[in-house]
Order: sequence, then structure tokens, then C-alpha cells
Amino acid sequence: SSLSTAAEPWPENAALYQQLKEEQILLSDNASSLAVQAFLQMCNLPIRVICRANAEYMSPSGKLPFIHVGNQVVSELGPIVQFVKAKGHSLSDGLDEVQKAEMKAYMELVNNMLLTAELYLQWCDDVTVEEITHPRYGSPYPWPLNRILSYQKQWEVRRKMKAIGWAGKTLEQVLEDVDQCCHALSQRLGTQPYFFNKQPTELDALVFGHLFTILTTQLITDELSEKVKNYSNLTAFCRRIEQQYFEGHDKDCSTIAARSSKRSLLR
Amino acid sequence: MAAPMELSCWGGDWGLPSLHPESLTVMAYAKFSGAPLTVNTINNSWRAPKGDLPVLVSEDTVISQPAKILNFLRKQKYNADYDLSAKQGADTLAYIALLEEKLLPALLHTFWVEAENYCSVTKPWFASRIAFPLRLYLPGKMSREALNRILLTKGGPPLYSLTEVEAQIYRDAKECLNLLSKRLGTSQFFFGDTPTTLDAFVFGFLAPIYKVCFPRVQLQEHLKQLPNLCRFCDDILTCYFRLTVSGRSPAGQDTADANLQKLTQLVNKESNLIEKMDDNLRRSPQHPPRKLTTLKLAAGGEESSPMSRLSP
Repeated sequence: SSLSTAAEPWPENAALYQQLKEEQILLSDNASSLAVQAFLQMCNLPIRVICRANAEYMSPSGKLPFIHVGNQVVSELGPIVQFVKAKGHSLSDGLDEVQKAEMKAYMELVNNMLLTAELYLQWCDDVTVEEITHPRYGSPYPWPLNRILSYQKQWEVRRKMKAIGWAGKTLEQVLEDVDQCCHALSQRLGTQPYFFNKQPTELDALVFGHLFTILTTQLITDELSEKVKNYSNLTAFCRRIEQQYFEGHDKDCSTIAARSSKRSLLR
Repeated sequence: MAAPMELSCWGGDWGLPSLHPESLTVMAYAKFSGAPLTVNTINNSWRAPKGDLPVLVSEDTVISQPAKILNFLRKQKYNADYDLSAKQGADTLAYIALLEEKLLPALLHTFWVEAENYCSVTKPWFASRIAFPLRLYLPGKMSREALNRILLTKGGPPLYSLTEVEAQIYRDAKECLNLLSKRLGTSQFFFGDTPTTLDAFVFGFLAPIYKVCFPRVQLQEHLKQLPNLCRFCDDILTCYFRLTVSGRSPAGQDTADANLQKLTQLVNKESNLIEKMDDNLRRSPQHPPRKLTTLKLAAGGEESSPMSRLSP
């Protein structure tokens, strides 16, 4: 029951599950996972990152990442924020009602535009699908399972794109949308260190997760990361959060022995 | 600016110019920005709706989604967001995303999926405005598309049944309404005293919930507990659509309206010409740049900020 979970303190062995970092994970899942990691770091709650090939199937909602805390399993940033709040940790308590409304609106903007654009790029752009997505998504499995699973997922994502009206968009239009979203985020951030001035909130974690991943992931072309690089305050924002919350922390996957090459911001 | 623009959209009832949120958004924006649109509501004729409404036709261009239509109007210098700061423009995008993610599923559900509502109100209303035999097919298609959209975006584990999905989307919608109410507070519009794109979108989504009489009305009941949002919708209806709350347009206001619109257009055209001249002058170094404001049709039809003229 929720009362008993609230009473339990945050355990030392809390774990976050995602797909395999080097071979399998895709842009959108990596962004979501990084957002949750950043959020937990900002709350000062320790978490181990565990990479498993079947993480997607372990998740209660089918979406990643999910965290395993005590005997609770919670997936996706929204529910995780609620869960953490029930345990007495919150980043947005200091905001007034209007600011909370604004924060939620901007989080929806990131989900609505950035996440959807990432999904579009990796599942609806034929070149990216062929060269990056299919090989990565099915990599833990033998043929023909790898092909079947990735075609199945692609069909699922394309259905959703059609339902929300993105199937008819061209790549240029999607990149335009990304630019519009980044422009809005850049305007809102302005010269402040975080979106709500001095203290980071879940919005900062979410924006960081997506922008940092876009900036550091190598795709077929650089068009996506170029859109973000156009806004210097956004790249500075990512660098600031990386330095403050991720440098000097051990974030090994338990399946990878040596620390993989550190992803730091280029140029 | 000079080319006539025609908007085809769904008509209205229950005191609204249109029942369809997207059509209503475009109509509201046109009123706010003073764009002269000829509105054609779809009625029982053979000019069947091709694809999604609303559709704007201007000379040879055909534009179909609200965001694109609004962009087109802005390019034609009908800009309701002229006075907004860059941050307010960003806020607009964010709140529109909030509406689409959190409020739209429940709105679609209330109109198209909730069985009692759909069968007793929505289907007969839309069917009566579509020509035979399309009327036998189109409402059903719209209903299926709505359910599809809800399930694909909000369904899926851990919500395993339609009832669970429904409970979640109505919870989200009520929270969204609360957030909008907090954001609006006591102001007349979301960004001060003049309505903007955001007001058009919020109005487009809220007014159908507010006014249409359905048998199952949990969302409407929640909305009625937020008096500032209700006042917001009523204000726009009385000021911009010249409809009394009961839905009748007072006679004699129409000619005054038309004259005022013509005047606004003329003044806007003049200010655009002057802007162009200003641009040219700005490029020559000896003249200092001047700032111009465009005339907007404000609430009650009064002219707002005066136009500053260039002195030679």
C-alpha cells in the first residue's frame, strides 16, 4: 500500500534498468533514462544503473526506464516523480501554483515535440531505421527474432504516429518542430542557470536528458544535434548539469566491466 | 492581404459558432487578429468535407491544420501575438502541448467514444450536417479514429482495460483544467488584456466542453467549478462572436461590425505599407529607426494603441 512505501526510506540498492548501453539502446530510451538519472541525482538519491537486454519486457508499462526500489517497480519519469514525492523528496515544492502549471506545460512540450521527433527519426526515417535502429534494437537476439521484433516495434510506432498526425510529416518538418521546441526552451531558460532560476526541477532533468542525448548521439547526419547547438544557452545548460551531477559519479553498467568512454559534450 | 480567404469548418449549436475544437480555434484566432474570413459551415450539401476540417482556401492555397492555418494568417500580417515577448511565445507553445496531451483525449472521449453521448448527441448532430450517403459512414469513422488515438497514446500497460484508460484520461483532463484556471487567475486573457493564439486554443478546447449538452457530463461539471474559465469562454463569445449567451446574434450589430472590420483592414494595410517604408528608411543610415504598432480589434471594438506615424 502507498502508506507503507512512503514510510520506507530510500534503500541503498535502488536500481534503474535500461537496455544495453553500447549496442542496444536507442536515442529516445537513452534520453528518457538519462532524464530519470538526472532527476534522482538532483534529489540526491543514490541509484545504480543496470543494463539488461530484456529491460523493455521487465518494465511494468513496457516503457523505459524503470526503477526497482525496495519491492516497488515504477516506470517512466512522471510516475517516478510521484513515487519519489511520496517518499518525501521533491524538487518542485518551492514553486507556486502558476509556476507548477508552467513546469507541467513545458514538460508536455518536451514530450509532445522532442520525444515524438526522436521516435519519428528512429522509426519512420527509412535510412535511420535501416542503418541504426534495426541493427541496434534486435542486437541481443538471433536471426530471425531480431528482425521480427524490430519490425513489430516499428509497426507499433508508425501506427501511433499516424494517429497523432505525424505520419504525413517530412523529415524537414520534424526538424522544424525540433527547432521550434528548442527555440521555446531557449527563450524560457534565458540567462538563468535552471528553468526556475536557482534550483533544478524535474523539468530541468527532462530537458537535460533529451538535449544531452541529442547532442552526444551519433546519427546518420548531424541535423538533429545542429538544431540544438544553435542555442548556446541550451548547450551551456547541458554542460552545467553534466558537470554538477554526473562528473565523478560511477555510472557503470553492471554488464560492462570497464568504464566505457565518457560521453562528454563535443566542441 | 487582398486575396479573399474562405474557411470551411463545422458549424455550431448551443450558442457556439462551431462545435469542433479545431474549427473554433481558427475562428477565434481570426476574430482576435482581425482577419477577414468568409466562414462556410458544412451543411447538408454535396460539397462534402474532403479530409480534415477546418480548411482554409485562399486563391490557390489550401491549408488544413489549425497550426498551419494560424501560421498562414500571421504571414498575411494578421498577428494576434504581436505584443507578446519571446518568453510568452514559448509559454504559448508549452500550454498548447499541455492541452493536446492532457485535455484532448478526454474531450475526444466525451464527444466520440462515450456511448450515450455519441449516440444521442454527437452522431445525430454531425450526421444531419453531412450529405447522404456520407453521413452513414463519416461519423462512425471519426468515432473510430478518436478511440484509436486515445488507445494508442494513452492506452497500454499498466492500464489494461478501457475503463482504466478512461479513468486516467479524465483525471488528467481535470488536472489540466485546474492548471489552466490557476494560470489564468483573475486576468481577462492569458497574456493580459488582449487575446492571443493561446486564448484561441484554450477557447477552442474549452467552449465545446462548456456549452454542449451531453447526457454524460463529468468534464463539464468540473469545468463549471472553475468560474474564471467559464467567464473566459463567455467573454469571448459575447465580445468577439457577438452572440448573446443564448446564441442569437443581435441585429444591427452586423453592419457596424462589418464597417469596423473594413476600417481595421484599411488601417492594417496602411500600417503595413508604412512598415515597408520604414524598413527602407532604416537601411539608409541617416534616419533613426521608429517603432510601429498595428491596430488591433480589442474587446468591445475600441481601438487600442494609437498608431505612430512617420514624420518625414
